[in-house]
Amino acid sequence: MSNSHLFLPSGFPRAPLQNGIGRFVCQLQRITIKFCKSNGSSRGVREFIEKDLLDFAHNYPGIVVYVKPRRHHSPCLSAEYLNGERQYVNCHNHSRDEVIKWVNLLRTESGNQIIRLRKMWHTDCPSIQGPWSPFVNRDPHLNVVEFPNESLSRPVYLPKTATEQLKEIFEKQRQTNVSSLDEKQAE
Amino acid sequence: MTAYKRVQQWNTFARVWHLYDATWQNPFESAQRIMKYLKGLHKPIYHPLNDCGDHVVVINSGEIALLGDEWRKRVYFHHTGYPGGATWTLAWELHDKDPTMIMKKAVYNVMDGNLQRRYTMQRLHIYPDDDVPEKIKQNITNQIRQLRPVPKRLDRYAPEEVQRFPKVMDWPKNYILR
Repeated sequence: MSNSHLFLPSGFPRAPLQNGIGRFVCQLQRITIKFCKSNGSSRGVREFIEKDLLDFAHNYPGIVVYVKPRRHHSPCLSAEYLNGERQYVNCHNHSRDEVIKWVNLLRTESGNQIIRLRKMWHTDCPSIQGPWSPFVNRDPHLNVVEFPNESLSRPVYLPKTATEQLKEIFEKQRQTNVSSLDEKQAE
Repeated sequence: MTAYKRVQQWNTFARVWHLYDATWQNPFESAQRIMKYLKGLHKPIYHPLNDCGDHVVVINSGEIALLGDEWRKRVYFHHTGYPGGATWTLAWELHDKDPTMIMKKAVYNVMDGNLQRRYTMQRLHIYPDDDVPEKIKQNITNQIRQLRPVPKRLDRYAPEEVQRFPKVMDWPKNYILR
């Protein structure tokens, strides 16, 4: 993120009203082409109007096209969208190809405000498992435990101490002694 | 944000209250473990910018164990800011004044010195014995395991258990026990 993005709002990619999931609705409502009939800076725009504008209007009947000549001004494109936003492109000294490019861009835009995208993708189902919470995979036994609990406090992995080993050996010895005594009594 | 998503957010970021029994534990090693719970480092959703730290209630901080002669050699420094205002307090002196202080300073010192440290410390509750106020006790839902097992003192054993303990030898009849 650079300094120029400081005042740019941020957000996630989102289509207006789920556009394109059922059918596509062109978001461009009307486009106004302003140009001068004599000025050289409008030459590309004039060429566009002569050669491409009729095809454009014919191909996209949903878009209202206004053509507005005005004397001695540089040409521009002004696009209005269904959400009320408005885009303005200055076409000073643009060639015909450049004008076609800009008109196509304005036609395909959603009209949403330009934002810094925090992620380049969008999903309605971010996780199949469901989001994590402190209560998932929790032992239900802990719900009925009284705290402080000594067995929960002790470390889990403990090596056997020498005392415990000695006690085990002693216990074993006593068992064998008892069993040998029993045998003797049986004899 | 729908109502469902909002509740999901509360569920994910719910604060858990942990209990830690400091009996016979090294406070400086325990602090490493407690710090992770205070910051929320044990959670899969951890990120330094999200506020997912838990509460830790430390009990029996009066019975902590310091290594070797640390009680006599460890010194806590304080300066009032005025000339001649420096004081050096030995660990045992500090422990006599406030039995929670060594534990508190140990946890404070293992954390990075950033702006979050004071707020993270507010989530640590230390008590010198196991007498915890009922309001705090009812929040506790988990217990942090101790670092080392607590040895049982001889006078805590039942007399039958002492009798049953294997003897290596018997004292001679005429031996006088003092």
